[in-house]
Amino acid sequence: MIAGVRLARRLEVDPRRQNITRLLGAAAGLLLAGLLLLLIGRSPFTILSDSIEAIWSKRGVENVLRQAVPIVMCALGVALSLRMRVWNIGSDGQFLFGAFCALGISINVDAPDPVLLVLMAVAGALGGALWILVPALARAYWGVNEIITTLLLNFVALELIKWASLGFWRDTKSQVTKSTVLVEATLPRMWGFERLSIAVLVPVVITIVLFLVFRATTVGYEIDMIGGNARAARFAGVNVPRRIVTVMLITGSIAGLAGMLQLTGVPGSQAMGEGFSSNFGLSGFIVAALAGAAFAGVPIAGLFIAAMFYAGLVLQTKGLSVYIVLAIYAVVLIGVAIGEVAARYDLVRPRPHHVDVPPSAPAALTPTGPTP
Amino acid sequence: MIALITNAFLSIVQAAIPASAVVVLAATGAMVNEKVGVLNLGQEGLIGIGAVFTVLAVQVWEIESPWLCLLVGMSAAAVAGTLFAIATVVVRANQVLVGLALTLGGIGLSNQLGTNRNGTPITVVFADLDPAGAFSGNQITEAFFQHDPLAYIAYVFLPLVLWFLFYRTRHGLDLRAVGESPATADATGTPVLTFRMLYTILGCAISGAAGCYMILAFTPTWSQDIARGRGWVALAVVILAAWRPFYVVLGALLYGAMISLDQTTQARNWDLPFLEAKDVSFALAMLPYLVTLIAILVPAGLARIGKRKSARDAPGGLAVPYFREER
Repeated sequence: MIAGVRLARRLEVDPRRQNITRLLGAAAGLLLAGLLLLLIGRSPFTILSDSIEAIWSKRGVENVLRQAVPIVMCALGVALSLRMRVWNIGSDGQFLFGAFCALGISINVDAPDPVLLVLMAVAGALGGALWILVPALARAYWGVNEIITTLLLNFVALELIKWASLGFWRDTKSQVTKSTVLVEATLPRMWGFERLSIAVLVPVVITIVLFLVFRATTVGYEIDMIGGNARAARFAGVNVPRRIVTVMLITGSIAGLAGMLQLTGVPGSQAMGEGFSSNFGLSGFIVAALAGAAFAGVPIAGLFIAAMFYAGLVLQTKGLSVYIVLAIYAVVLIGVAIGEVAARYDLVRPRPHHVDVPPSAPAALTPTGPTP
Repeated sequence: MIALITNAFLSIVQAAIPASAVVVLAATGAMVNEKVGVLNLGQEGLIGIGAVFTVLAVQVWEIESPWLCLLVGMSAAAVAGTLFAIATVVVRANQVLVGLALTLGGIGLSNQLGTNRNGTPITVVFADLDPAGAFSGNQITEAFFQHDPLAYIAYVFLPLVLWFLFYRTRHGLDLRAVGESPATADATGTPVLTFRMLYTILGCAISGAAGCYMILAFTPTWSQDIARGRGWVALAVVILAAWRPFYVVLGALLYGAMISLDQTTQARNWDLPFLEAKDVSFALAMLPYLVTLIAILVPAGLARIGKRKSARDAPGGLAVPYFREER
């Protein structure tokens, strides 16, 4: 290979090292995306400066935070199931059905606002869990791949929302509205912000709770053990199927709660229509992958993706389409995936063949690298 | 009453065959990938890429032969598939992540390229087969046989060729070994990475043909987000077809029948005792996905209850990158 350097594979991967290579991969992906933009005749520098200009204002920051709430929530759920190597790609469906259930409560229950909001939050979480129940049971007890089952339910949820917004819950006050009636109660505003509700606190709390559970409890340890080696976990006495069902239900309920928060916490989306979820689940999936399923990294990666998302929305007015943002997501995701593998390799010089090597040849250059 | 039901049945068949052909092609492509152990979640993206490059072939490069347009679309999907194969097979990155990236990138690219072409008609299409007027005139042969040549390829030719290749040749045995247990295949001297590269790219080209089919035969016009979930349904069909070429056709027909059931009831304004006609259509729109889901769950559940080792399991090496050093 090049200049006598070759790749040697590591048997063990240092997670810290993997975090670095993952970020490097994402950065390389962004760089490549910039080059591609240059190729199609758009200046990445103008786009970058326009984006920063759009984000770097009070309004911009508030909007990014608002976008980040559903994205980070979905990502936390995905990250939680990823710890067990369960791929939940159905956050969008759980998000939508959670919001659907919350809206159902708002329509059918007559209660003072605080009580109603609590009921709606419970309904949202339960709805999200219900939406993932069948894939969870099928995965845990029948070994059915959860990627496809959770994804198919996304489309069912989308059609259900369409039905609700054009059919049984449609706002009939005007002939032109293509959405459901408005929710009865909204979350209080966050102190010091204009367009931000206290919904923004929820992902922070969930992040801390998940972080602590995985840092300090047996349950978290058992879940990580299932992710590391499900067979070994079973022999160690962990009830693997039950853990899988529990964790997947929690995953779904976090996404469902996110749907309820979106419905009650964001001005302008207090009714459900076709565009209610702008692919928050998919963005959440990318965030979880970017963070390597580490809970502390999820909010940071989530803010980054939310900022990109918001910049994409703003730049639409300047002739850049959301499709380009999708393509940039794709390149970043490939960068992350490749970065993750890169951590498993060392660049080494092969062991010299001649005997007349100076005795000072450092031992660190041996092909195997340090073994932990 | 009987005439009414026959009529409805025939119109469902007539609509279901082209509607399912899209899913047949995408699912066949995905199955070819999975046979060699590569899980390709990028079907939606590949359909989009195949479709948009077919549109470009017709409208920009003004190619007049539908076969050449098909070739353009499939080649574009093969190029995307090569990138996917390099990332997953050579670099051995996580197949789920790269597959999702292919879906995102494919949707982004195809929508970007098709931005100003929404609804523009496509002039180059495959004509329906009607040798010497044998099919036209009779309602039954029209519904079952009067379709374009690409549908014949998807339903008959391609499954036949793949079945023969997989189950009747030495090469096919090696190929399945690469998917089931790459380490064993490697030990017998089968070049695992070459097989995986080759059949990943081939599968992606076939999936791309699903997009070409949408433009050249199914709905001769471009619309944004053209795949609309068909790629995901195709991946589900591969599972319920237990990775077998002809079962893929049947699984896809199930989906297509649900889609055209929806269209037929809509066209005839049928209602149910407990639902108005407009609500029937909303409810039926969920059916293709629900039926596919149930079709996956029921056999898996029955196999588990029967406690027998299922012959319907996925290839053993599916979605696992192969490292010779870790054999």
